[in-house]
Amino acid sequence: MSDIENRTRDVMAKVLQIVPQDISPDISRKNLPAWDSLKHMNLILALEEEFDIEFSDKEIADLNSLHLLVDALRTKHS
Amino acid sequence: MFAAVSSFPADIPPTLSDLISASDTMYAAMSSTAPAYRFGFLRNVTLEGIEPYLRYHMLRMGLRPELIFGGYGSIRQDLILPDSPLVKHCPDLLVTAFMLEELDPHYGLPGWNASHSREELSAIFDALAASDAPTISLNTFIVPFRSETGTLIAAPDVASEVIRLNDFVRAFVREHSPRFCIMDWDRLAHRIGEAEAMDYRYWYISKAPFKRSFLDALARELTKVVLALKGHSKKCLVLDCDNTLWGGVVGEDGIEGIHLDGHDYPGRAYYDFQKTVLQLAERGVLITLCSKNNEQDVLDVLDKHPWSLLKRNHLSGFRINWDDKAANLIELAKELNLGLDAFVFVDDNRRELELIRQVLPQVTTLQVPDKLYEYPALLQRDGLFDTLITSQEDKLRTSLYQTEAQRKAERNQHPDLESYLLSLQLVVNIQVATDREAMRVVQLTQKTNQFNLTTRRYSDHDIARFRSSKDACVYTLSASDRFGSLGLVGVFIVQRRQETAVVDSLLMSCRALGRRLEVAFVLECMRRIVADWGILTWEAEYLSTAKNSQVADFWSTLGFALLEQAEGRRLYRLQAAMPEIDPPSFIHIERE
Repeated sequence: MSDIENRTRDVMAKVLQIVPQDISPDISRKNLPAWDSLKHMNLILALEEEFDIEFSDKEIADLNSLHLLVDALRTKHS
Repeated sequence: MFAAVSSFPADIPPTLSDLISASDTMYAAMSSTAPAYRFGFLRNVTLEGIEPYLRYHMLRMGLRPELIFGGYGSIRQDLILPDSPLVKHCPDLLVTAFMLEELDPHYGLPGWNASHSREELSAIFDALAASDAPTISLNTFIVPFRSETGTLIAAPDVASEVIRLNDFVRAFVREHSPRFCIMDWDRLAHRIGEAEAMDYRYWYISKAPFKRSFLDALARELTKVVLALKGHSKKCLVLDCDNTLWGGVVGEDGIEGIHLDGHDYPGRAYYDFQKTVLQLAERGVLITLCSKNNEQDVLDVLDKHPWSLLKRNHLSGFRINWDDKAANLIELAKELNLGLDAFVFVDDNRRELELIRQVLPQVTTLQVPDKLYEYPALLQRDGLFDTLITSQEDKLRTSLYQTEAQRKAERNQHPDLESYLLSLQLVVNIQVATDREAMRVVQLTQKTNQFNLTTRRYSDHDIARFRSSKDACVYTLSASDRFGSLGLVGVFIVQRRQETAVVDSLLMSCRALGRRLEVAFVLECMRRIVADWGILTWEAEYLSTAKNSQVADFWSTLGFALLEQAEGRRLYRLQAAMPEIDPPSFIHIERE
């Protein structure tokens, strides 16, 4: 697992208040009820702090899974 | 559990995820019996983002918050429909979160004025006043950061309309204080600044207007309100003198050499600091001095320095000597009959502050900042003295404590307590609480810690309910002696259960203690209640707290029998209408 993915999972576990083991690779807003729209807002803010980047308003609406988040962070962070 | 109060407000962890996990850790360490405190948000915007911040600040104070949010477009229904979450869960504090953008579809359009919003708000506020919420906080509206008229101001602009609307909100709060209080969003936003306060990105995505700094500030303000309601406000300010009340050392520089001139640097910073001290004195905070100096040098500055705003008559006590400051603070606490945890100590000397922190950790300590220009804001910054109520009694408090000094002198002339108390010529008035007294009653229930049998904190709404119930009664005790009036110093709340009277609350202000007034008070209340209600037996409780051990045996001394004892609660019963003891003979009860 890449460093970015690890850090993303770590932030995700803290913000969604779940144990890291519960974060499967294909986790998304569709299959995790705890990931509601309000938690999503906090998650985005926390990831922006963690990676010191900023998502645009258009990006935020689409970042609905661990995959998509990690991909977007990779592009932004590099 | 409330030791953390002295270091409030803490800086929060640097990132949101750290903040959330720090709260999770505190939450896990907390006993499951820690009291839950319910916030209900009546809102038309998304404010859920405040949750991590509010949770953090509340948990740090040992309080477990629960947040309940109403719907977006259903403000009025949320207040009245029985299955609305804001009605069903009875929040302890109801918080409004309204934005004009959502309240009025015409907001910001050319020709807009505030009259529609004002009508709308007026109806909502009336509905709030009629609700069951014990305490309600109203928000102000953020005055636009930019002018729609450019550099011209031809007609009333949006900003001036919003300011008018805010005046309306403030006036409503003032009229309905202390049940209503204010969350001044406009002030917060302008203090923090647009860039750090406003989240335009999430405003447009999900109607969530605020960034971290603003949400944190708002959470702190709400926590302060809760602490004030729970009686954690500080009551006494203890000030050092040299380099604290003025710049320089009066013993060396002389009265002419110290810096206090309101036109000069650095005198003006000290002068402005003294202004904030006077504002606190006006609010009823007791001002005292504790300084290593020659007493006369310091008093000369207060009496004679043209720029000293602080005068001798503002002081409720002082210790100006060469003794150690911890010992002096203990003496001041005794003299003023206050707990040391009600004290805030300000000094410029790190060693003195460290000594107090070591020896008296319950005292809140503040250091004169190295950046002197930050000094005038020191006392206002943390809201340590914030209360929701100022009663007539608060304003009289300094003079009350000054007559107390005369009483102390009198006490020293009498070998035994009884002859001293007789010499005081105590007169008491005991009556059913009147409208005028209601606010003072609320205040005493909120802040009395030591002589308080059950420590139940009540809002004015609660007290109004007791007063209007035919099965409850609120009595007050006002006392005076030959030195002057002590004011309203006792509250007794009783409820009826068939032929048993149940004492809900009994408390006495600390300045009235040591005179056996409580015995006269309770016996007289009991006598009247027995006559009015035909009472045959009594029930009373003692609920133990960290501070009320002095009254642990109060009911036994009146002849009540201990019935049950468990987890800090003692239940007593008296199988008779009246105890078999006589009221103190040296207290005269006024009868209409």
